Amino acid sequence: MSTLRIEHRTRFTYGSEIVSSYNEARLTPAWLPRQRVLDSKVEIEPSTWRTTYRDYWETDVVAFEVLQPHAALTVVGTSIVEVSPLRAREERVSWGDIQGPRFQDLLCEYLGNTPTTEPTEELAAFAEDAAGRLSPDLTARSICDMLHERIAYVPGATSVHTPATDAWEKKSGVCQDLAHLAIGALRHVGIPARYVSGYLHPKRDAEIGESVAGESHAWVEWWTGDWHGFDPTNDREVSDHHVIVGRGREYRDVPPLTGVVAGETTGLDVRVTVTQTA
Amino acid sequence: MSDDRSTPWSGYSPAQAWDEAMDVHGDVREPYQRVYSEIDRMSGDDLYSKAEALASSYLAQGVTFDHAGEERPFPLDIVPRVVGADEWDVIAPGIAQRVRTLEAFLADVYGSQHCVTDGVVPRRLIASSQYFYRAVHGVDPANGVRVHVSGIDLVRDQHSIWRVLEDNVRVPSGVSYVLSNRRAMSQMYPDMFGAMGVRPVLEYSQRLRSALAKAAPEGVDDPTIVVLTPGVFNSAYYEHSLLARTMGVQLVEGRDLETLNGRVYMRTTAGRRRVDVIYRRVDDDYLDPVQFRPDSALGAPGIVQAARLGNVTIANAIGNGVADDKLIYTYMPDLTRYYLGEEPILPIVDTWRLEEKEAREEVLDRLNELVVKPVDGSGGKGVVIGTKASKEELEATRKQILEDPRGWIAQPVIQLSTVPTLTETGLEPRHVDLRPFAINDGDDVWVLPGGLTRVALQKGQLIVNSSQGGGSKDTWVLGGVRHRGTVVPPPESKVELEGVASVPQDAHPEDWAHGQQQQQQQQQRDAGEVSGS
Repeated sequence: MSTLRIEHRTRFTYGSEIVSSYNEARLTPAWLPRQRVLDSKVEIEPSTWRTTYRDYWETDVVAFEVLQPHAALTVVGTSIVEVSPLRAREERVSWGDIQGPRFQDLLCEYLGNTPTTEPTEELAAFAEDAAGRLSPDLTARSICDMLHERIAYVPGATSVHTPATDAWEKKSGVCQDLAHLAIGALRHVGIPARYVSGYLHPKRDAEIGESVAGESHAWVEWWTGDWHGFDPTNDREVSDHHVIVGRGREYRDVPPLTGVVAGETTGLDVRVTVTQTA
Repeated sequence: MSDDRSTPWSGYSPAQAWDEAMDVHGDVREPYQRVYSEIDRMSGDDLYSKAEALASSYLAQGVTFDHAGEERPFPLDIVPRVVGADEWDVIAPGIAQRVRTLEAFLADVYGSQHCVTDGVVPRRLIASSQYFYRAVHGVDPANGVRVHVSGIDLVRDQHSIWRVLEDNVRVPSGVSYVLSNRRAMSQMYPDMFGAMGVRPVLEYSQRLRSALAKAAPEGVDDPTIVVLTPGVFNSAYYEHSLLARTMGVQLVEGRDLETLNGRVYMRTTAGRRRVDVIYRRVDDDYLDPVQFRPDSALGAPGIVQAARLGNVTIANAIGNGVADDKLIYTYMPDLTRYYLGEEPILPIVDTWRLEEKEAREEVLDRLNELVVKPVDGSGGKGVVIGTKASKEELEATRKQILEDPRGWIAQPVIQLSTVPTLTETGLEPRHVDLRPFAINDGDDVWVLPGGLTRVALQKGQLIVNSSQGGGSKDTWVLGGVRHRGTVVPPPESKVELEGVASVPQDAHPEDWAHGQQQQQQQQQRDAGEVSGS
């Protein structure tokens, strides 16, 4: 078990003074059996009005307006989260169960590919081949292993709106791309898969109290009787260093910050700082 | 009828479809007796000159319909369609029941989805609908109403059975034609309405206004209601302005609205004024750039959040399209039994779901005799009538079905009923359908007596939508108060509908300039652009 303090700071600067902006922030970690949110706040400067709600994907959202002249906007999400390591699960299901009509219908949202997650023919063929030989869990694992080997992690190689196929062709991408690629391949062979947005403490053996530069991160969960989290970017199981904010079909369902601003954004600075406090 | 005098009816004879005015023996059906004898007294020339007078009065009202991007007059036929009181006594409760079912289904879809857990509707069907708007999950309308206005399309088959053809619960349009048709027809036949006991339609606007007022957020006693239009370039702008005026409320565009502290306001010359109910005629996707299309300036950012907080009511509710999807249509009889515990009053048209393998195979075998429709289409768009399609069209349809089985349904060809219609060669039977309009005020579903009868002007044409170049008829529902002798009530042309006569030129002096430079500078921002590891 670890206790992590996460600060996610975003600063926008504008070409000229902005008088109206409407936004949504998804920066609050979820309350889950594996993680307890000891404290969480979102600070917005300037802000004229805010409210919160829980969206369809059960992510906590801060909706806010800035209706006063401003040349910059700062949004800081700060949370303290206690994360338990995952317990290995006993119950597995076979291909027959997963592909039966009941689960295919109940989990249909995590089975259909979108233009963002649609796999290339090559990736689809790889997934089919694995599924022909291996159990559902091992198939999923082998897809993630292959992606980790094949796709180089290159920050800035793609944007959050890049379809998975582009990253595959470029053989490089960021965590969103790895997650979208894995999701596309998993769904292609009928394994329900979802996109997870959150944070990762990058140092495995972090000192207590040491603040390190972290990142807003993304990984996947697949369903083989229960949801199983895996981080294809780092090719490892989700651990007590992973903090979940939200889950959805793809990035678009759980973006950290979205909004509409009447004006041009000229600067954007994002910093995530993670500290293990216990 | 057998006299030697020639009347407009000479030579009128029903084809194989159910003719609503005359049976196969040439006997006039009861509801049409009076209309028949009225026209029978005229010569053919009389009827044509009456039709001409009607057309020019109608044109003067500025009633047009957008067909393939071109404004065209929407021809109104000189012969009314008459619906007997006994038939209406089935149709009206049938429509109301339909609306109650759709309301229950929508509340369930955007709530706990019991219909899925109880196995009535597959989850996949809801989740795969492009009109299932997850952004409004958990948005509870003030008085529980989502379908404030609906247009439930009916057809009458060759056995005279009324069937529901499709539901329209997003932004159904066409009611202005009903009002304009009545106004024009009451000038043509001033005596017949009272004598026949035709039920009035012009109370529609007051009914709508009252339903919208009842849908206002809690605690608002004297709500401010507005009609939100995309603007003068929209093909239904005439209707938007007509409804705003006859309800006595403001007609606004997106740029007139702003949200502040989770509430919606309109900008007026006297400053900001709080808006409580928005009767919107803007599609879902354009209503709120924060939630939907970021480039839209037709709505206002923050509107969905204001609705979520219960600070404004959006009528009709966002996301209703999941209920008028044509695949859901096939489940409607089951849903009526499930939610209301009632048997459906109005049957649907038998429908194959092409997602199901056996159904698909059967339909692909019989494509040349069936009608194939896209599940999310309306206005006859994309409909392929097998009996009339070329070999190439059928082949293309087959391909489309195989590519996207979820996207299509198939139905047998229905011989729509016919009504006498004036053509260049005299009165002839022409196919019709009917779109009755219903208003749900939360306590009752009121069905406008009649509705929009659309008529296919070409012989044998079965698609009657105005977007397919059809015309319309005034629809007379009998069973209202009859007046005999000298007591003649004022015809409906004289009541209420002040100022209907033309499209207002002065609604917004800046309309024209605005249309050209509509897009305010907006940009969707996304912090994730550079984040990610």
